[in-house]
Amino acid sequence: MSSKSEKSVIGLDIGTSRIVAAQRVGDEDQFNAQLNAFVTIPHSKFTENSLKRENVPHAVADGQILIYGNESARLADLLGHEIRRPMTRGVLNASEQQSLAQIAEIVKTTLPASTSGAKVCFSIPAPTLGHEENLTYHEATIRQLLEQLGFPEVRSVNEGVAVIYSELEDTNYTGIGVSCGGGLCNVALAYMSVPVLSFSVTKGGDFIDSSAAGVTGEMVNRIRLIKEESFRFNGNLGDKIMQALAVYYDDMIQAVVDGLRTTLSGSRHVPRFGRAVPLVLSGGGVLPEGFRERFEKALRAAALPVPVTEVRLARDPLNTTARGALIAALSE
Amino acid sequence: MEWRARRIADPVARLHYLRHTVGDRTWWPEAEEGRSRVWMRRNRRALAWSLAALVLLPAGHWGARWTRLTGRAPVMAAEPAAEPRLSPVWLVEQQREFEWWSNGLRVERRYEVENEPRRYLAYLVGEEALEMGGTRSAPAGIVYHTTESQQTEFQEGNAGRLKYIGESLLAYVRQNRSYHYVIDRFGRVWRVVRETDAANHAGYSLWADGERAYLNLNRSFLGVSVEAQSRPEDGEAVATPAQVHALRLLTEMLRAKYEIGAANCVTHAQVSVNPSNFRIAYHTDWAAHFPYAEIGLPGNYEQPHPALALFGFSYDPALVESAGAPFRRGLLLGEDRLRQTATAQGLPAGQWRRDRQHHYRAMLKQLQARNEKTAQDAADHTSDE
Repeated sequence: MSSKSEKSVIGLDIGTSRIVAAQRVGDEDQFNAQLNAFVTIPHSKFTENSLKRENVPHAVADGQILIYGNESARLADLLGHEIRRPMTRGVLNASEQQSLAQIAEIVKTTLPASTSGAKVCFSIPAPTLGHEENLTYHEATIRQLLEQLGFPEVRSVNEGVAVIYSELEDTNYTGIGVSCGGGLCNVALAYMSVPVLSFSVTKGGDFIDSSAAGVTGEMVNRIRLIKEESFRFNGNLGDKIMQALAVYYDDMIQAVVDGLRTTLSGSRHVPRFGRAVPLVLSGGGVLPEGFRERFEKALRAAALPVPVTEVRLARDPLNTTARGALIAALSE
Repeated sequence: MEWRARRIADPVARLHYLRHTVGDRTWWPEAEEGRSRVWMRRNRRALAWSLAALVLLPAGHWGARWTRLTGRAPVMAAEPAAEPRLSPVWLVEQQREFEWWSNGLRVERRYEVENEPRRYLAYLVGEEALEMGGTRSAPAGIVYHTTESQQTEFQEGNAGRLKYIGESLLAYVRQNRSYHYVIDRFGRVWRVVRETDAANHAGYSLWADGERAYLNLNRSFLGVSVEAQSRPEDGEAVATPAQVHALRLLTEMLRAKYEIGAANCVTHAQVSVNPSNFRIAYHTDWAAHFPYAEIGLPGNYEQPHPALALFGFSYDPALVESAGAPFRRGLLLGEDRLRQTATAQGLPAGQWRRDRQHHYRAMLKQLQARNEKTAQDAADHTSDE
């Protein structure tokens, strides 16, 4: 925890839609984010030179140019293509052959120069409710990737727990952390920093986008841009896209609340907290205006076995998991 | 612990403290039934691998494998240091009202009373089973208690009230034959129940050293109680400096007199058990902050907990909150010791735990039958006279 160690510690949120790196410099946490996505365009020397000149992260392979990170979304929109994802539903995308190489490239672009040798803590999802997925492969592969990038000390932290580490210092890291990401919503309950239970549901931002696209006939990319730029609860639901987005947001909220109720009720040994605990919402999915109120309403209606004092939004929802991973690494 | 954590302003330092004090999830909620069914269902494959690895791996390698399987390295007990030779302590003067010992200890005798003579069974700790270790009458150890009695502020103006409360307490202890010794708040050492007799201080309890195990310690261990009350906020019982000094002198005297090993000088929270639910620490006095170092003893909290290691007891998660970090280390060591023995037996840990619990029940039943017979014999003997 000395300043020397802080300089060489990195928190990484490796999410389905974004990769965020966090580093502490002095008293300030600094973040660098890239979309965890890429798009391919036919190769030409002119395009390649332009990308080099503009410092756009890219690679050339098999007669194509792969453009990574934030620029991929802009280009996909311009070209009318769908972006491609190295990860899906929180883990490596099996249908993308080069997913690992692509993630490695994106991770490199998020890291400041001369971080080789740093201690890294990266986020991993929780098992999905109702499925016995093997997360070991995902975790081990990302760990190996980071080691190959020159980080000798690599740890992992559950995404929901990272939210708790980032936001719940005022309750001694006791409470519920929810991260609504692109592929999954991750949920964790911790008692004095000790994870008690965690799970994820497969309804995240991508689910909302693709479901809304399906019922409106729009492209997923366009739905995502509309969602990020103008969707809010209790807004103009006369618009078909807005109405579809509201329906699927509600579906996602209900899935998280149902998951919490089922998991808490099914666990015989949730500690006796002796008091109500807070719940923190983070991730890109919680950004629409009115989300917190909508979630709180669903939560109150569900009457969880563990009483919740308050539902609050994380201070910086897009960077919460990375910050939590950073704090986890610093507190080792 | 929570109170302490709140006093750490830096969030990272606070998290560091909590993560290293409370530990990781591999041990806290897990204590036997502490694992949820949901968690079990999700992790049954990992658990199966863990058990298989425990059974199959050679003993020399299991530590490293265990690290990979559960994320927590087995806690290794420090090799017990060779016990320093006890300095002799001898009786200098004995009067009806007091005793004076060569190390400066003065024992007040005004409340001294007799009780049932001390005779008890000790069990040999074997590789596979506990066998009878014969009947003994010398005290095997010391259990330290707090009286948890009424307190008033320790200051000059309250001297009269402090004395009054202390003497009321002594009268109560004498009437109930509760302890062998009480150390009042001024550090005076009062003998209540004679050392040759049993006192009602430990109830359902057990302890073991390297050689022998002892059940229900009223007869086998001496009970020494400090007039103090545990603070509700952090469970710390604050002994006055005079009490700590007196504890040191009394411990020296008793250990020298009966050749009591340091490992058998332990607190009530460490020895107390609840046979109905197989949880330890039914009583929690001195679950933390017992001044082991100040009274010349090693940190006995960190011994592998015998109730966990030998008899398959577990603990309530609430104990993690009230106990200190050294005590929790003793719990981990006890739990690991149980698993290691299960591996050596070629049995799953759960099966071995149930076997140990069954064994404890049988021993307890035998002990109770024996005590009833002794009491009946004593009653018959009295009526014959």
